[in-house]
Amino acid sequence: MATIRAHGIAAQLPRRFEGRIFIRPASVGVSYPVGQFATFPIPDDIGDFGSGAVTSMGPDDVFATLFEYGPESLGTALFSSQGRPSSLSPDDFSPVRLRRGIPGQSGTQRFFTEAGRPFSFYAVLGSHIRRNSLVPNVNELISSLSITPASTPPPEVAPRWN
Amino acid sequence: MVALVVVVTFVVLLLGVLVAGLLRSHADILRSLHELGVGVGDPAETSEQSSARSAPPRLPTWSESSSTLGPAPTVAGVTPAGDARAIAVDNADGFTLLAFLSSGCTTCAAFWDALQAPESLELPQGTRVAIVTKGPDREIPTEVSRLATGRVPVVMSTEAWLEYEVPGSPFFVLVDGASGSTVGQGVAPHVEQLLDLIRRAEHDRGRPYGTSRRPSARRNGPEREADADEVLQMAGIRPGDPSLYPQTLKDVFPFGTSSTNSSNGGPSARAE
Repeated sequence: MATIRAHGIAAQLPRRFEGRIFIRPASVGVSYPVGQFATFPIPDDIGDFGSGAVTSMGPDDVFATLFEYGPESLGTALFSSQGRPSSLSPDDFSPVRLRRGIPGQSGTQRFFTEAGRPFSFYAVLGSHIRRNSLVPNVNELISSLSITPASTPPPEVAPRWN
Repeated sequence: MVALVVVVTFVVLLLGVLVAGLLRSHADILRSLHELGVGVGDPAETSEQSSARSAPPRLPTWSESSSTLGPAPTVAGVTPAGDARAIAVDNADGFTLLAFLSSGCTTCAAFWDALQAPESLELPQGTRVAIVTKGPDREIPTEVSRLATGRVPVVMSTEAWLEYEVPGSPFFVLVDGASGSTVGQGVAPHVEQLLDLIRRAEHDRGRPYGTSRRPSARRNGPEREADADEVLQMAGIRPGDPSLYPQTLKDVFPFGTSSTNSSNGGPSARAE
């Protein structure tokens, strides 16, 4: 199994998964690491939560995003859960939880704090009907993730004129 | 007088040696020309050993055999910007072309340019291109970044070079996504030659361009429309064909309108 590692996030990719961990260049302010994982080729020019990619998913595909938020989110109620979800159940997925509703698909999103870093984990299934067989793939991906504390806190840069 | 005879004899011997040397040099030149395939005389006179030596310089080769080349591993590494990137070669239906390039090799320059504009290469539909350089321990990321346009994934991974046993750059590996197996690998000096090799691999696979074993949900509207057009054309149905514009129900179900089997309208009933 291939392992990728960057920005304090590592993933030992399950079979058929590919992924990337990157920091999108910020036009204003600071951007934080994003991990994207999928069982289909990930285009380079997609949105953080898969816009531009989920439309090309097949019914047996899975897409997931691990998105880090800024330190201002630490300690808030939304990120009060400590640690990523150990596993998800098919009942956690619903078509109404998709950020962009695409007929047939299903999604879920969890917010949590791990290693002192606030994250959300968003997953999309290519077929809600097949969620029983697809959710184990998501759980395998979740268990393969590794998050370490940020080595250096990102500088707080406020928008300003040059 | 005796001294003159001695001098003349010495000069004649010296000239003889020079002529012998010239003849030998001439023979060497002729033999070299033979070996290059432009020699004069009867090539059949060359010996077996000479024939072995006279084989033309080996052109870059492309080996094709899914059974011998085996499964292809995922390419994992970093991008020139320092992000992590993994490209699975077994999660798509089409081909994945892995181009192992270097930032410094002159032969690679044309491939850097051409492969980052894959839409102009007329590759088989669904073919994905990825460029793989050695890792940051062997390549300068800024040099790689200067060459990368961001239009195709560029992964820096020395491990991938080792796993695919890349002998040098440029080197190409073609993977069939449906089977996850390498269907061809080798080197090509020119982009056109590489494209020919890819098309040949597509032809050898027996799957015409544009057909997919994956569900069509992966494809967008225009691609599905193109697929439908292709299937219709293969069936001999061309634009304007009357069957595309049914006027009555009988045009759609020509066998299902008899009074005895039209009650259920099933295929078995219509076939009778």
